[in-house]
Amino acid sequence: MKMKLLGAGVLAAALFAGMGTALAADLVLSIGSRGYGPTVEKNLAGFKQANPDINVDWNKVSDVPNDARKLYVTGLTAKSPTPDVFAIDVIWAGEFAQRGWLQPIEGLVGADVIKAYNPSFLEAATLDGKIYAAPLYVDGIHLFYRTDLLEKYKLEVPKTWQELTAASKTIMAGEGPQFYGFVSMWGKIEGLFMNWLAFTNSNGGGFYDKDGKVAVNSPANIEATQAMVDMLYKDKIAPESVLNMRPDDARTLFQQGRAAFLMVQDFVYAPLAGDDSAVKGKFDFTRNPYFEGHPDAHSTTMGGWFLAINPNSKNKEAAAKLVEYFTAYDQQLTAAVEENRAPSLPAVYADPKMAQAAVLTKLGKDFDVGVVRPSATTGSLYPKVSEIMQTEVTSALHRQKTVEQALNDAQQQIEALK
Amino acid sequence: MANALDRRRQAVGLGFVTPTVLVILAILVYPVLQSFVLSVGNSEIDGSGGYRFVGLQHYAELMQTSRFWNSLKVTLIFTAFSIPLELMLGIGLAVLMNEHFHGKGLARLAVLFPWALPTALNTLMWRWMYNTDYGLFNAVALQTGLAEQPINWLGDQTLAMASMVTVSVWKTSSFMALIILAGLQSIPRELYEAGRMDGMTRWQEFRQITLPLLTGPILVALIIRSMDALRAFELPFNLTDGGPVSATESLSLYAYKVIFDFIDFNLGSAIVVIQFLVIFAMSLIYIFTLRKKD
Repeated sequence: MKMKLLGAGVLAAALFAGMGTALAADLVLSIGSRGYGPTVEKNLAGFKQANPDINVDWNKVSDVPNDARKLYVTGLTAKSPTPDVFAIDVIWAGEFAQRGWLQPIEGLVGADVIKAYNPSFLEAATLDGKIYAAPLYVDGIHLFYRTDLLEKYKLEVPKTWQELTAASKTIMAGEGPQFYGFVSMWGKIEGLFMNWLAFTNSNGGGFYDKDGKVAVNSPANIEATQAMVDMLYKDKIAPESVLNMRPDDARTLFQQGRAAFLMVQDFVYAPLAGDDSAVKGKFDFTRNPYFEGHPDAHSTTMGGWFLAINPNSKNKEAAAKLVEYFTAYDQQLTAAVEENRAPSLPAVYADPKMAQAAVLTKLGKDFDVGVVRPSATTGSLYPKVSEIMQTEVTSALHRQKTVEQALNDAQQQIEALK
Repeated sequence: MANALDRRRQAVGLGFVTPTVLVILAILVYPVLQSFVLSVGNSEIDGSGGYRFVGLQHYAELMQTSRFWNSLKVTLIFTAFSIPLELMLGIGLAVLMNEHFHGKGLARLAVLFPWALPTALNTLMWRWMYNTDYGLFNAVALQTGLAEQPINWLGDQTLAMASMVTVSVWKTSSFMALIILAGLQSIPRELYEAGRMDGMTRWQEFRQITLPLLTGPILVALIIRSMDALRAFELPFNLTDGGPVSATESLSLYAYKVIFDFIDFNLGSAIVVIQFLVIFAMSLIYIFTLRKKD
């Protein structure tokens, strides 16, 4: 078994190494093809034109964060010199920096460039006063809904979970079998934890209590988690298959016109609005619902992506150039206007062209009720915290444990971590 | 004179053997020892901060972790169900392929196909077919009226295990069949002719001639396949990622998650060593059975 692991490591290292062949100014960029959308391809073409002496290979990694993470961990552990530049989820920044896997960007990326980034984003990638990654974009989870169906059944856009359940039942009764009310990414992935945070926070709960203590099993959280269970078995508005779904599985169902509500990240907007989409022009989105009595509750679980430089890269200067290019004003403006990616440069928001970015402006409004994951506060323990939450919430959703039991177990395991 | 020749022969022999032995030491013995060393100590993955011996601390931790016991249980259940099914199907396929019929070569090729394809690709293919909402099986089941509601193949604890066993049986029965077929072809025809003269039925032939003479090949196939099943990784990793909850999380997958998600090589190595012992014990049982038969 160990042999197998070692073999996998060697193979991965060989693959990594193979991609960064001899030429001095060759770079390997690792980023998913979906998260930042077609912008990556556009930026690479532009970068090539501006820097004809630098070759960039795009290593498309999985857009399911944990899959990409495994790949990075293997390569970075082996001190592989590639990828030179790689996209990291905000939740890894602290941990990766602590492990020495990220090259501090000061001195490589221009000081004026760094100063222009949103300071609160930078803070997520700062450890002991050093900045370890450049913010690329922010995203969050939103509630997508079918405008045509709400109209057909004379329903309002649901503001609360209770309204969403009622609306789902009405639509499902009218649309017949094989049509679902609510789909989301409730597979045992990071997205499930994001969902859980959205549900619990929208009930006045959350991961921490008001004093900043871990309060996973608070009454508000138990109630919100029970509501998730009820969507599956009592109200039956979500299919049980939702428990296997990753973001794209849920998106596909919604895009085929087989679900009324979809709760996932912003990236689905482009495919849903695409020409081959069955719901093109028939959908819109709004902030995630809240529980009755909590209209001010925050419920948009936020994520963010950074570009980081490999400390073992052989071309750190060229790598820094690539990072600067991707996060520069013009590129971010284009990504914002054309692909609805929320920029990390505050200056971009003031650009007159942003008037065309109506979708992004609307997405951005949901960020006003944003919720961040406890990654900065738990640091290198975060992967374990997230895994515990995923496992326990899943066991509640499968009715293997009662909600209370599952959250008590989670609380106990997280308290024992430290 | 003869002595000098012997010595030279020995030297040549050693020269031929040494590289192989070195490679085996480097890629087989060293990692096994290294796993053991890691499992009884605390260390950082990149070697910084040195190594601190902690004895059986990680093993003690595992003994108290329900997730570890669960993964051991999952591994044993998976092995216990898939191996007998593969064996039965394997024998059936081998007997069939041993008959003379038109297109025999093609049939043999077709049977081998699932085994020749990479597990990861096979498994992804099956994952799509199992998909609850747009998979092949549910489309057929719903349209023919066999089911009224979509069946949650990979989302139900029992069904997920059954689905995983099915993929394993589909994929590796042909491997069993191949080894058993080789055994079948070495059985002398005369035995069957003699049997026919004594008025044996086909079933009696199978029970009293074929099966006893197949014991050797069957045991070899069993050992190889059991070892594979006990370290199943690609299958659960690609089919279910260990889910739902932890219903299909094998020892290998659990070790992988501990090592690469939690970046805890020491605890992960302890799992690996225990897995090594389980496989070793299973092999010993088989080998002693094999000896007795001989």
